[in-house]
Amino acid sequence: MSAVVQSGQLPGGTGPSAGAEADGAGVSGLRLAVRRFSRNRLAVIGLAVVVLFFLFCFAGPLLYSTDQTHTALTSANLGPSGSHLLGTDAVGHDELGRLMYGGKVSLVVGLAAGVLATVIGTLWGAAAGYAGGWVDAVMMRVVDAGIAIPALFILLVISAIATPGVWGLILILGLVSWLVPSRLVRAETLTLKNRDYVHTLRAIGGSHTRAIGRHILPNSVSTVVVAATFQVADAILLVAYVSYLGLGLQPPKTDWGGMLSAGLSATYSGRWWLIVPPGLAVILVVCAFNAIGDGLRDAFDVRGRG
Amino acid sequence: MSTFLYLTRRVLQAAAVILIVTVATFCLLHALPGGPARGILGPQATAQQIAQFNHEQSLDQSLPVQYFAYLGRLLHGDLGTSYTLNEPVAQLIQERLPKTLVLTVLSAGVGLLLAIPLGMWQAVRRNKPVDYVITTLSFVAYSTPVYFLGLMLVLVFSHILPWFPAQAPQGDTLAQVFADPAGLVLPVAAGAASVVAVFSRYMRGATLENLSEDYVRTARAGGSRRGAILRRHVFRNSLTPVVAMLGYYVPVLFGGALVVEQLFNYPGMGLLFWTAAQSSDYPVLLGCVLVISVATVVGTLAADVVQRFIDPRVKEGRA
Amino acid sequence: MTATDRTTTAGEPILRLEDLGVTFSSETGDVPAVRGVSLHVRPGETLALVGESGSGKSTVALASIGLLPDNARATGRALLGSTDVVGAAERDLASLRGRTVSMVFQEPATALDPLTRIGAQIAEVVRNHRRIAAKEADALAVDLLRRVGIPDPERRARAFPFELSGGQRQRVVIAMAIANDPGLLIADEPTTALDVTVQAEILDLLRRLAVESGTGVLLVTHNMGVVADFADRVAVMLQGRIVETGPVEDVLLRPEHEYTKRLLAAVPRLAVAPAAVPAAAKDGAAAGSQDRPEAGSQDGPRTGTEAGAESATPAPEVPLPRYAARARKANTDTAQGSAAGHEPVVDLRDVTVVYGRRIGAVRALDGVSLNVRPGETVGLVGESGSGKSTAARVALGLIRPTSGTVTLFGSDLRRTRARARRELRSGIGVVLQDPVASLDARMTVLECIAEPLRVHRRGMSAKERQEQVGALLERVRLPRSFAQRAPRELSGGQRQRVSLARALALEPKLLVADEPTSALDVSVQEAVLEVITELQDELGFACLFVSHDLAVVQHFAERVVVMRSGRIEEQGGTMDTLLHPGTDYTRRLLAAVPVPDPVLQRRRRAARLAATAGAAAGGAGATA
Repeated sequence: MSAVVQSGQLPGGTGPSAGAEADGAGVSGLRLAVRRFSRNRLAVIGLAVVVLFFLFCFAGPLLYSTDQTHTALTSANLGPSGSHLLGTDAVGHDELGRLMYGGKVSLVVGLAAGVLATVIGTLWGAAAGYAGGWVDAVMMRVVDAGIAIPALFILLVISAIATPGVWGLILILGLVSWLVPSRLVRAETLTLKNRDYVHTLRAIGGSHTRAIGRHILPNSVSTVVVAATFQVADAILLVAYVSYLGLGLQPPKTDWGGMLSAGLSATYSGRWWLIVPPGLAVILVVCAFNAIGDGLRDAFDVRGRG
Repeated sequence: MSTFLYLTRRVLQAAAVILIVTVATFCLLHALPGGPARGILGPQATAQQIAQFNHEQSLDQSLPVQYFAYLGRLLHGDLGTSYTLNEPVAQLIQERLPKTLVLTVLSAGVGLLLAIPLGMWQAVRRNKPVDYVITTLSFVAYSTPVYFLGLMLVLVFSHILPWFPAQAPQGDTLAQVFADPAGLVLPVAAGAASVVAVFSRYMRGATLENLSEDYVRTARAGGSRRGAILRRHVFRNSLTPVVAMLGYYVPVLFGGALVVEQLFNYPGMGLLFWTAAQSSDYPVLLGCVLVISVATVVGTLAADVVQRFIDPRVKEGRA
Repeated sequence: MTATDRTTTAGEPILRLEDLGVTFSSETGDVPAVRGVSLHVRPGETLALVGESGSGKSTVALASIGLLPDNARATGRALLGSTDVVGAAERDLASLRGRTVSMVFQEPATALDPLTRIGAQIAEVVRNHRRIAAKEADALAVDLLRRVGIPDPERRARAFPFELSGGQRQRVVIAMAIANDPGLLIADEPTTALDVTVQAEILDLLRRLAVESGTGVLLVTHNMGVVADFADRVAVMLQGRIVETGPVEDVLLRPEHEYTKRLLAAVPRLAVAPAAVPAAAKDGAAAGSQDRPEAGSQDGPRTGTEAGAESATPAPEVPLPRYAARARKANTDTAQGSAAGHEPVVDLRDVTVVYGRRIGAVRALDGVSLNVRPGETVGLVGESGSGKSTAARVALGLIRPTSGTVTLFGSDLRRTRARARRELRSGIGVVLQDPVASLDARMTVLECIAEPLRVHRRGMSAKERQEQVGALLERVRLPRSFAQRAPRELSGGQRQRVSLARALALEPKLLVADEPTSALDVSVQEAVLEVITELQDELGFACLFVSHDLAVVQHFAERVVVMRSGRIEEQGGTMDTLLHPGTDYTRRLLAAVPVPDPVLQRRRRAARLAATAGAAAGGAGATA
């Protein structure tokens, strides 16, 4: 129940890579990470899938232009054919064109919400971890409380109250999913603030600002990037749930989740082209982001969880 | 740290978390269109009724006073009254919660029983075809929206192959639920899929980490065979972090139950919540959120305590 | 049981390596770790394999028991009895391990399964090779625990590893290793992670067990003192090859290979008053030594206790490292308190640090008073948990004392405002233990060294900073071109020099060095300490030097403070205190340090054992 995955991001952790740092001289950390990443087949495939989907959604309409604003009831529910490669939906939109159109929303909302969640989570977690003591305790209890309320329940409550647009959706999804990254970053901060170089800096009179800005945040980058990748995967999945929960965008706007939910009623009527393409799109893209995150985590050698 | 001290601290923490949740639901209640009075009395209430209600419920008082009044009602088990079903919310939840628990516990149990051996198998066969296949399958299982997965299950195992009913067991009592085990198969399968995906990955990681630990080398130096080391040492050491992780997974399980119950028409709390959302039945919605959160906090607490009892180091506060 | 007795033990070698080679495949290509190593170990003898980090000595040990990691490839032959370990099937190896050959590892903290009771872990090894009932195996485990000196073995068998101290855990690992009376015991740095007193006990135990059962021992270590204490023969490794082999007396006292000579010259040697060891047998014997300022000039006769205290000098043939010259010179005047007129740069008065509250409270420091005067070097020594690092961190202002006062450069830290306090701190330089964790991996060497300048010299231009970093690099004997390197490209010793350059950037009046060389090889350690000494002469900063290594402190520091479980055991001039300790504890500590001279070490060991036996007989109950 995945999108709800507040803390359920696919954990990996391949353990320490064999051979360790036999001879790291001359190979920069980033180059090494790139090399490790490129050796992870699933991650490379994931990256390719993501790139292809972005091309499909953003460049695709240039080659295959369709009308996604006006309904055309005369050509509704057509099967795949030469003029409509993937057929049409219940109001006559071309399904392939709609897949591009809805994909834009899914990808943009997923990316933006994932990044927003990571940013909020990073700031919150870093503050709590660095402050320590009772500030940390209170801040983390707030996170616990947030995690205790399953995201789908919150989303459903919100759907009972309001119907947001794209920006509202990004904001809501960002606000319900920052908790896991905040935990990760807090754990990372706790480790980093006890590093010897931070102690050294503090001992000679360096400020907290400097310790955070020059050492702790730059060193958490890899953790944050990995967290963000998983967060984007989860956000895209959440977007797919949102329409199902009735919080989705109003037609003619749509996203993959909306298309999928709309097509579900056609399951038993044999109109597979209404379900399979959006379903596959969601699964492929979410898988791809997860695989990338997995590869990045191994490449940077960061722990997935605190 | 003694066990008593630990338990006290952990329970206090849990209490603090629940308190914060009540603040959140209180805020939501006041964020409702028309305020709590409209939310509780329903959309048909007149202005006069609302004014009277506000006075009776001290809603004309300051917010902190109201909050404590709200807290007082909660402590008495008063979660308000559903205005669509016209029944006390507490009673509604009391009827439905056990069924949801059955569904979630079964999903988690079945999922773990599959995930743990799968994860260990992957770790042992790391970077071999088996590992890649299971990893890919976990990614797919994880990335499939539950409603889509559920529907596909119904399509295949109920429509095309008439093996299982497409509808979950109906009826009010648990006995009636258990009387129809076949009906539970597809809902539990849909719920267990992501558990398998997440926990097999987690078990794989934990096993790999443990396999590279020094104690494995010590055991090998003593002549223990690979299988025995896995069985006697690595398995238990890998399981402890997985149990701790289970605590964090409780909210995800409830989220899944929400969709599964709706999809299979299983009369648990998720379905109650779903119907309430369709009719803007706010008392039910907020009541459910509160109960689910408490259940989550208790679940997490239980996982922590269990972990403490299987790992002697945690008991001493050293891990 | 002299060494010669044991070397004469005849018999076919239990281990014979012939032209052994090991190559690791890594992400950056193949790395040969061991090349053409041939050696043998006979039953009853101990062969020490010594070398610095990266010499391949541990790899040889792992290859000998078939426990090389998956990315390693072995060539040549490694014969255990009649089986060639190289290329043997895992099944065959498993039946050898724990019976014909077994191994003791470096890190007792992680060597045992944390979730399994220690008795069960020992019993498992027994049952791997003997078809006996579980109950019987459990009883055997208890016997083994008794043999390795675990008190109350019946009860302790049911303990989990975390309930045991490091030394006890190592005893358990040893019990597992000897469970089936193996012909060969491989010990890979078995005492490196332990305190010296525990090290001495573990070495005594290993020696006794080896002698009792005629086991051959392959001892892998970097510590020449341990070699002198334990080995019959020595093989010296350098870059994957053996460069010199021979009886321990020959190799340690009359080394032939250039590398062995250099290695031995770099080992800090504890100067001992020959009579001070027997003196430990009777308490109060050396009590009068405390106020004896002058250091003697010649080797004294090994006579009675009082006489021994009179003549206290390092044995004349012991070569001293170059960094020791100043300490020796200074010892005569500073110990007297010639610097006493100056105000201390840092002064801890009656400092107590308590962690936690009420029931769980731990006193990390208890009424500690110490100071460092301008230009002087104070050594802070003690075993793990003694509070020496905590004291250093209090001096650095990283830990706030629960009570007591800390005065830095004449200002009470509690009474100064934040801004003034930061200003004060610009007078401190810091070098910490871990060469890896001390430098931010994301910065270049330039940025690392320039950081203090950025904090305290805001007006400085980038160009000036660069120039100054260049000058600092030269000061610590590193080329200016290192400025653009990343820390990961440097060796441990180079990293510590970068830390030192950073510490000196603000021309501090006080350098606090917390075990700055304990992670380094001896030759590198010598170079780093030399640099510090020379810079100290040049720049005149004071130094608070925390170390567990009494020999290093003896040469490096003018005054020494001995700590034990959060309290100061004693303090005074270095030569004086370490040659004529005033307390039993310091004496025990000194007696436990193995010196890299097999003849002298044999005498010291005998004296130490006699002393402990005497103490035990006298009912003093001074077991640690």
